[in-house]
Amino acid sequence: MTFDCKDLERALAVPELLPDAREHAKVCDVCRRELWLWGEMSAVAPGLREDWETPDLWPNIRQTLVAQQQAAKPRGWRGSFDWRMIAGIAAALTIAVSIFMMKYSRPTPAPGTPRDSDFLTEQTLKEVEQTEAAYRASIDKLTRLAQPRLSAAENPVAVAAREKLLVLDSEIDSMRSAVNHNRFNTQLQAGLAEMYRDKQDTLKEILQRAQ
Amino acid sequence: MAAGRLTARSDADLIEASKRGDLSAFEEIYAAHAGRMKSIAFHLLADRADAEDAVQEAFLKIYRAAGAIEFDSGLAPWIYRILLNCCYDTGRKRQRLAESPLAAEPAAIPNNVPLQMAIRHALGRIHTQHRMVFWLFEVEGFRHSEVAAILEIPEGTSKKWLFEAKRELKRLLTESCP
Repeated sequence: MTFDCKDLERALAVPELLPDAREHAKVCDVCRRELWLWGEMSAVAPGLREDWETPDLWPNIRQTLVAQQQAAKPRGWRGSFDWRMIAGIAAALTIAVSIFMMKYSRPTPAPGTPRDSDFLTEQTLKEVEQTEAAYRASIDKLTRLAQPRLSAAENPVAVAAREKLLVLDSEIDSMRSAVNHNRFNTQLQAGLAEMYRDKQDTLKEILQRAQ
Repeated sequence: MAAGRLTARSDADLIEASKRGDLSAFEEIYAAHAGRMKSIAFHLLADRADAEDAVQEAFLKIYRAAGAIEFDSGLAPWIYRILLNCCYDTGRKRQRLAESPLAAEPAAIPNNVPLQMAIRHALGRIHTQHRMVFWLFEVEGFRHSEVAAILEIPEGTSKKWLFEAKRELKRLLTESCP
């Protein structure tokens, strides 16, 4: 093959053509420089990496996580006092409920009939699922409004927004799949709700920017 | 890939331990990824404080969402997708993403600067997606399969965008140095 300067671009994309390109570069200064530059870009690129010390970053993250864990746990020391009070109230309630049941006892419900506590949990779940459905309806509506603006724009902010929505959709899919396996997990449900809020906010922001 | 990369098994172990509230396990995940995450965040936000904020926010989200991770494509792509998301958020909040030296249209590249500086300068003038692939592959050392998983694009697209990025950079660099 007779290699010409105009073949260089193709040779850079097809490694099999590189030996011909190198032969040609021996007699062509321009192509020699371009070939050198092509390799050198990869060689010097790792040096562009930014690295700096952040001694406070992990302690800050850890501190926030510890605070979140503590907030999620029952209260600690004041527990000794509160516990006695709660135990007293519980004992009084137990006695009152026992008296009430003895006085107004009803037949035992048939097996499979939900107990009050199960019913309350189911009720809460139902409300969460209704909220989720409302989020999804709102997001669908916002998506329909934002889509023409998003797909038309090519500026960095629109590109970033498109990419963010893709990432969010993927995260929502993962989280929904986890929620489907464990519908009563409060943390997963809260995480999913937060992602919906995030997507809703992102779409609103796109629409506000467009106005 | 760079040192500090974790195996799929240990990733799963560390995430499982983190889900049980074991912060020392989560710290191992931090130690393995934080350096590279800061670099990527800085590339996108052009500000160290913003980059640190984005990385911190990403780790809080990772910890919170650890229960939802699926190991089909490994831990790393999932972590870096969350990071990119946090960077876009931080960038939008502080309005720096579009105005950053990397994303803005800079003046012509002076022809007497060292190549590394010239590349940094030229990166701000190439297509956003091509630039991101160049950064992840050439600067941060991810493989094409990993870049593809992070950006949720086909592996072939990652290769194509890298070629386009280098072609654009070559053009800009040779234009500036006749």
